[in-house]
Amino acid sequence: MPGEFSFQDVGMCFRMHRERVTTLKEAILGRFRHVRNVDEFWALRGVSFEVRQGESVGLIGHNGSGKSTLLKIAAGVLIPTEGRARVQGRVSPMIELAAGFDPDLTGRDNVFLNGALMGYSRREMAAKFDRIVEFSELSEFIDVPVKNYSSGMYARLGFAIAADVNPEILIIDEVLAVGDERFQAKCMDRIREIRAGGCTIFFVSHDMNAVTQLCERVLVVHHGRVAFDGAPATAVRHYRELQESAAGAQAIGG
Amino acid sequence: MFWTLLNPLLQMAVYTLVFRTIMKVGLPAFPVFLLSGLLPWTFISVSATTSAHALLNNQGLIRKVAVPQAVYPLAVVGSKLVDLLFSLAPLALIAALMGRPPSVAWLALLPALVAAIAFTTGLSLVFSSLMVFFRDTRHLVDILFQVWFYLTPVLYPSSYVDGLPQRWIRSVLALNPASPIVRCFQQAIYEQRLPDVSTLGAALTCGAIALAVGFATFERLQHRHIHYF
Repeated sequence: MPGEFSFQDVGMCFRMHRERVTTLKEAILGRFRHVRNVDEFWALRGVSFEVRQGESVGLIGHNGSGKSTLLKIAAGVLIPTEGRARVQGRVSPMIELAAGFDPDLTGRDNVFLNGALMGYSRREMAAKFDRIVEFSELSEFIDVPVKNYSSGMYARLGFAIAADVNPEILIIDEVLAVGDERFQAKCMDRIREIRAGGCTIFFVSHDMNAVTQLCERVLVVHHGRVAFDGAPATAVRHYRELQESAAGAQAIGG
Repeated sequence: MFWTLLNPLLQMAVYTLVFRTIMKVGLPAFPVFLLSGLLPWTFISVSATTSAHALLNNQGLIRKVAVPQAVYPLAVVGSKLVDLLFSLAPLALIAALMGRPPSVAWLALLPALVAAIAFTTGLSLVFSSLMVFFRDTRHLVDILFQVWFYLTPVLYPSSYVDGLPQRWIRSVLALNPASPIVRCFQQAIYEQRLPDVSTLGAALTCGAIALAVGFATFERLQHRHIHYF
């Protein structure tokens, strides 16, 4: 059913090259010198969970815990090293809002470019265009190349596009940090509206208030594993405990 | 657009000056011969050398948006194909002015284009992927296409090669997969006849093999690209 997704024992391994071979010349010479020096780093390991259609799930964890890796797998950008990630339906990833922007094109052209990246034709985007511009409050600047935009304007346009493509799964990664308070509130309202429309939401944030307000279920990621999966309030408590114990361990170790 | 059309015409003017006026290559309607081979060759070489950078230049997008990665090299091939199609117009004009107007044989350009596109796509996929793993691929590709240009009958007719006394040179040059593709264009445009079945067959075979190898390689390697950016 569209809007569902599940992870089964998903693991993602990054190879960290200490002495990286980046040229053919080195690769050929390296055969004789054994310079290949690769460390494996498992950003995620043994992650299993299921999200039902229409559920809004939060994702919290300290920096480097594997949240972003998990999101990128859900968005289809990364292919897991092991396990299976099944995602059904149209995903609108708000991972890096302005990812698809071409700085030399105008705001107007970028709306269509971004739409194309999400699989919308020119005509479909034209129908959404006025709404997008209105939401972003950029009508005055829509024909200016986006390289001249401020970071707040970038984020507003990016959010307006991502929020208007009727996704079945909306993935939000800490994107509300930019923009002023009023616009953030507007974004939260828009997200609630999308949620009310039956869209599945996957929300990552360090803002515990936003997470508890928006989500009915929260996953805590810790060192590449899901340490907790359940009610928001309990999850936040669990997350704080983990953080304190990490800080404590560091104080003893340091 | 203007520059796209001007570039092959300028090249044609210079090569004609050097080869016909200075070196006295006695080929009738030399500019037509030259352009009919130079245009497909330029399509192949410019597409392949440009798409070698396609994945690297778009790594920001690849890391964030889930789009099949083959899109990036294919977009390069597509845009160069448009250039090629547009530059057929001045070629037709020059050919008509020099007494070799477009004939029914131009219909053979369709299968010839198919072969050229398939061949170019295969090369582009392989080079764009290889470039992610080994950054010095760019030098390799540049040198490869410089040498390859002179080994392909663009500046000289392939009959010159067939007339060479050294048998080994002939057999080595006969292995050049770009030759039958370029030959198809020359036969249809310059010689105003349908290409030989053997030449067209060889061109299509080379195109099919390059495309299959290119896609198979790309398919196997694309998930590893993201770790090498």
